[in-house]
Amino acid sequence: MAKTSLDRKFDQIKKREEEKSFSIKKRSRIVSKFLNNRLAVVGLIIFTIIILASLFAPLLSPYDPMRVDLRSMRQAPSFDHWFGTDSTGRDVFTRVLFGGRVSIFIGLGSAILSAVVGIAVGCYAGYKGGWIDVIALRVSEIFMSFPQIILVLLLVSITGQSLFNLMAIFILTGWGGMYRLARARMLSLREEEYVQALRSFGLSTFTICYKHMLPNALSPIMVNITLSTAMFILTEAGLSFLGLGVPLNIPTWGNILNVAQDILILQNYWWMWGPVGIVISVFVLCVNFIGDGLRDSTDPSQQG
Amino acid sequence: MTTYIAQRLIIFFPMLLVISFLVYSGLELSPGDAVSHMISPELASTITAEQLDAMREAYGLNQSFITRYWIWLTSMVQGDMGYSMAGGVAISEIMIKTVPATLELSMVALFFSTILGCSLGVISALKRGSGTDNSLTVAGMAGVSIPEFFFGLVAILLFAIELKWLPVGGRLMPHYETVWDRIPNIVLPSLVLALMMTAGAMRYARSSMLDVLAREFITTARSKGMPEWRVNILHGFRVALTPVVVLIGFRLPLLIGGSTIIEQVYQWPGIGSMFIRSVRASDYPLVMTISLMYVFVVLTASLIIDVLTALIDPRVRLGKE
Repeated sequence: MAKTSLDRKFDQIKKREEEKSFSIKKRSRIVSKFLNNRLAVVGLIIFTIIILASLFAPLLSPYDPMRVDLRSMRQAPSFDHWFGTDSTGRDVFTRVLFGGRVSIFIGLGSAILSAVVGIAVGCYAGYKGGWIDVIALRVSEIFMSFPQIILVLLLVSITGQSLFNLMAIFILTGWGGMYRLARARMLSLREEEYVQALRSFGLSTFTICYKHMLPNALSPIMVNITLSTAMFILTEAGLSFLGLGVPLNIPTWGNILNVAQDILILQNYWWMWGPVGIVISVFVLCVNFIGDGLRDSTDPSQQG
Repeated sequence: MTTYIAQRLIIFFPMLLVISFLVYSGLELSPGDAVSHMISPELASTITAEQLDAMREAYGLNQSFITRYWIWLTSMVQGDMGYSMAGGVAISEIMIKTVPATLELSMVALFFSTILGCSLGVISALKRGSGTDNSLTVAGMAGVSIPEFFFGLVAILLFAIELKWLPVGGRLMPHYETVWDRIPNIVLPSLVLALMMTAGAMRYARSSMLDVLAREFITTARSKGMPEWRVNILHGFRVALTPVVVLIGFRLPLLIGGSTIIEQVYQWPGIGSMFIRSVRASDYPLVMTISLMYVFVVLTASLIIDVLTALIDPRVRLGKE
């Protein structure tokens, strides 16, 4: 039987599908859309620079972030000390680099871990429904009944201050939002035909929801992870500024800013708190730009 | 409608009860009890175990956990909030002093951020895609990216220390009595708080306005030959802002939470700075009461939002949830 033009078209599509060129093309569309967003690209570049700078901090600075040097106390920025020195003679630039390691680790780590918890619960509960879902929903409602900063402070006062406790608290306060997001996506995906097909094949619940449904919910989750990274970095900075976050002996961006509570330092030694404040703002702004770019490039309703 | 409100209320009270129990038991797990916080270090070396036990008994601390929770809960419901461990001041007295200060700050900030956010959002929507729109969007992103306390510190340095226009902090200057004398103190904290809140309001207003502008009645109004400003203001603006105002009005809990650090930066004697002080001093009765008060405010606000949205949109109350 002679092939019609429609058949030929189908053959072409089939051939391309076998070469897997479809998925590559789809990904490249997301990438190219992201790259077209100028702010997102600038954000990504600065984000990378700051991360690399704090990773390679020992190579970039000859100073020790913790070593007290009383001969060079409160020096203004100079060629030797780019951001000056603090009240105990420690080099502020070095401290900002090393502080970045901890602050970014806390922000990114808490965001990813709370996403893992939220998704693990949300996918299963959203797909399965029933009593698991009811309980998880009520528990997340309990966490969401507090203003975020208040819950964090309350938990800090219960557990005491340490790096580990702070991350645990962030995960505890952060998983709820991710859970609700994952659950909502699952509820809408649950009724799709491919899911019903998988179920009729007799696949296990775990395989269906984590292997087949989760990838379709991934892009809003990625966006949410970026945005909550920004939020956690800001919360850590705020808490440490109050002296209630990471213990003061570990340099973090918030801990460096802590000295600005003293009005004399605020007035006379701007370099001790100004540059680090700007670094936090710029970093968080970049993360937000990246998140916005990701949302625009992955949101199917915006795909042209 | 009545059944819907009843359903909400049925969730409201058990929720409050469960949270109060969790908070109470959480603080129970923290090290030390009330007695160990009352004894000064000098006294601790001389005091005997019997005396300690007697003290515990006098404060009812030897009773079981559940009994103590029950006593605490019933007295709380009757309005007796107990006493702060630092100085033994009645918590209700602290509340009466600090809550008005926080409400004052939050209301002023809410007022500014609503006006600023709505007008900027609408301008941004009307000039969609233009340079103004883009720079407002970027400014909004900057608004949510700068740590609020850092912004507050820069404002203090600029307007209070360098220019000396406004006081550095506090709520009342000594020897000042009238309302007008208070204004210089509230300007900086409320504006900083308002600018931080504006970004969110602006985003809501922008998307709501864009939504309305795409509807058919706008096209109809235009096709009647109505001047563009009338279309925008009478038809677009009015419709777009109703949901925004309802939403902003009930972001109050967010605002109270957000004001915590700003209160500390400006030494504003509100509930937020009191909470931070009590966390620092491990003043558990105060920490517990204040955080439960926040929960009460959040839950009440979300109850009101639910009821209001149900009033506006019948699909909500007739739906399953």
